[in-house]
Amino acid sequence: MARGSSALARLRLGRDRRRTLYALAAAAMLFVLGEIVHPGFASLDSLEAVLTVASFVGLVAAGQTFVVLIGGIDLSVPWILNGAAILLVTSSLGQNERAPYAVALTLAMGAGVGMLNGLGVAFLDVPAVVITLAMNGIMEGLTLGLSGGLTCQACASYAPPIVQQAVHRQILGAPAELYLWLAVIIIVSFVLGRTRFGRHTYAIGNNLRASYLAGISVRFTTVMLYALSGLFSALAGILLVGFGGQASLGMGAPYLFQSIAAVVIGGVYILGGRGSYIGAAAGAASLTALVSVLLAMNMPDYGRSIIYGVVILVLLLLYGREESER
Amino acid sequence: MTESEPAAGGVLPPAVEATGLVKSFGGVRALAGADFAAAAGEVHALVGENGAGKSTLIKILGGRLRPDAGSVRFGGEAIELHGPDQAHLRGAWTVFQELTLLPWMTVAENLLLRHEPRGALGFIHRRRLSRDADAALERLGIRHIDPDALVEDIALAERQIVEIARVVIKNPDILLLDEPTSSLGEHEVAWLFDLIRGLRARGKCVVFTSHRWNEIASIADRITIFRNGADVGTYRGIEESEAVTLMTGQRLDTLFPPLPPLAAATPMLEARDLAGQGIDEVGFTLHRGEILGVGGLTGHGHRELFLTLFGAQRAGRGTIRAGGKALRLRGPRDAIRAGLGIALVPEDRKTEGLLLPMAVRDNLTLAILDRISRLGVVRAGREREMTRQIAQALQIKAPSLLHPAGGLSGGNQQKVLVGRWLLAESRILLLYDVTRGVDIATKHEIYQLMLRLVDEGRAILFYSSDAEELAHLCHRVLVMREGRIAASLARPALSAEAIVAAAVREPLVA
Repeated sequence: MARGSSALARLRLGRDRRRTLYALAAAAMLFVLGEIVHPGFASLDSLEAVLTVASFVGLVAAGQTFVVLIGGIDLSVPWILNGAAILLVTSSLGQNERAPYAVALTLAMGAGVGMLNGLGVAFLDVPAVVITLAMNGIMEGLTLGLSGGLTCQACASYAPPIVQQAVHRQILGAPAELYLWLAVIIIVSFVLGRTRFGRHTYAIGNNLRASYLAGISVRFTTVMLYALSGLFSALAGILLVGFGGQASLGMGAPYLFQSIAAVVIGGVYILGGRGSYIGAAAGAASLTALVSVLLAMNMPDYGRSIIYGVVILVLLLLYGREESER
Repeated sequence: MTESEPAAGGVLPPAVEATGLVKSFGGVRALAGADFAAAAGEVHALVGENGAGKSTLIKILGGRLRPDAGSVRFGGEAIELHGPDQAHLRGAWTVFQELTLLPWMTVAENLLLRHEPRGALGFIHRRRLSRDADAALERLGIRHIDPDALVEDIALAERQIVEIARVVIKNPDILLLDEPTSSLGEHEVAWLFDLIRGLRARGKCVVFTSHRWNEIASIADRITIFRNGADVGTYRGIEESEAVTLMTGQRLDTLFPPLPPLAAATPMLEARDLAGQGIDEVGFTLHRGEILGVGGLTGHGHRELFLTLFGAQRAGRGTIRAGGKALRLRGPRDAIRAGLGIALVPEDRKTEGLLLPMAVRDNLTLAILDRISRLGVVRAGREREMTRQIAQALQIKAPSLLHPAGGLSGGNQQKVLVGRWLLAESRILLLYDVTRGVDIATKHEIYQLMLRLVDEGRAILFYSSDAEELAHLCHRVLVMREGRIAASLARPALSAEAIVAAAVREPLVA
């Protein structure tokens, strides 16, 4: 026992890294559990499938991590994502040659809407909850109105083949989507950990007033962070149509709750200032593993919802306790 | 009643007594076997450096913390306190250093919280609430605070007064005060001490902590000195130098280092006819190598002046020049970048200066990330080197530069803030009450640091609520009253008495 604890002490894991480990350990345990209730669950194929589904949550959670780190939140995820998915198919009409333009347009739309969120938070002092919720409603209305409730002719288009391949193509035995997610994990972690922008983000999340008095442009950083959140929602929308082939209404709905849950499970402090994207990514993986196990157990929808809620509450309680012990 | 045996010789047992108290937080031992006793009808001061265990003792006596070992007795009766309510039942009430008022409620609501007058149906009787609060304030001799004002809207010193009043109206037998004067000006301190004398005359026991020796000497009947989590001894009438030696375990020859005279008068910062929220017609010149003090009662525009000079508050009128160049300040960024650069150590370092959970390193380089980044990427090696050097130069004591700033002692936190601006190559330092709540040895260190900084060609604008400190440490002192500069005192006319006199003179006729 004593040796074990001293070995642990020697590891000197920071709290962030410890939580990432918790999340990954939870995912592993869920696979073991899945194998017990449903033999074959822990196969490589199903691992790949779970991670692919997790990657979409993970991408949205990247944006969510950025805004939660400054104590904000982005509730406009569902309809930015949904709008992006529809914008991609309608602007590309399923043609490869239009794909670059469609992808750029869609990402710009996401970043632009996110930027509006950021402008509202930074300049109008509107609480993030309010402005992003309103923005979600506006995006829902715009999407439904402009696509005629997804009845427009172009709405039935498929995602361009290269977008579909960007998700499905196998590289060294894994789908391209997972490489994409890995790249995002590396880039976002680098931005948060090593750049001036990342340092400013943590500083603002820890103490907005002190950051302002240290000469940080709080407003610029805030706007950029919300723009990034919109950008990642749009990216997830693009890849989701690439994954499924066609856009549908309501496809963004699950990603609000799941992205916030992933961020919380991964140990990003909900009031800002602490946490890492690698944690949120691990959170996305364990959350998806949980969903898959529940599905394998034939748990009905309502049961899954209850379990989600309980998991988040328990984690927040546990992390809150850890906070006060410090 | 349990074993409340009469003490030998008919002497009453102490009103409050603690024996063998031990308390640890994580790995840090705040109390290591501390004893303490205070009698009814006495004012008892607890002194010691930061981290000596005074606040922890007060929290244990007030029932906010439970000791790991040791016992607490009230009137000779051993009590295990599980929470503040039990202490309240024994008549022990605490006024805390950190403010605990609810900012969006009125003064009256805060004063009578949980003791609101009720109407017939059990609802709060609002008119009586206001009237009762008014009467209570009147009884305590507080006339300038409106019971219907929101706490958010009143000054820090006034909040502290409400905090004290809220406890005193509970009619405590034992009043515990943790640094009650740290945010009070001379005027308010006088009020508080009158109040304490009144309580003493009525046979109550008052225990308080303070870092200001003249206050302690003027009111305490007995003084218990703490060092490293234990009591060193209890004294009646002890000299300051002796007390400091006991507190620090070393002798400080003089608290205030000698101030070298100002050589040539090269202006570095000039304000002309500056006006804005809370300030009016402020003009002064700060020279190279000068420590220019700003004094006066709290709430008379000092904070606004500092924020305006730093660009954190808009100036409605007037000019600010640094190195002869007029500045247009749209925010702190402009001030930091403006040629010579202006730096502010804000009033409350915990809320306005440091990012407590972040590393010392991050706090030090926060204002210079632009300079140590290439293409937006922070150059880790350069950052490490720069922070190591500055930490060494300022003798910042931290387990490592990656340690959270919140884990450092108060004095070291101040040094981190000063270090941030030295790294930013600021030539003009605006130091706002940097010695507040800092122990004597650290104060001494900060004074020496300030002298070194001006000796190296910088200039310091220094606000302090301690007139003694201003008188000893500054070349000149501007005394502010109602947002204006009421007096400019230079040696030899400069003294603590002169500062206080200028601060409290009859209101200016406009």
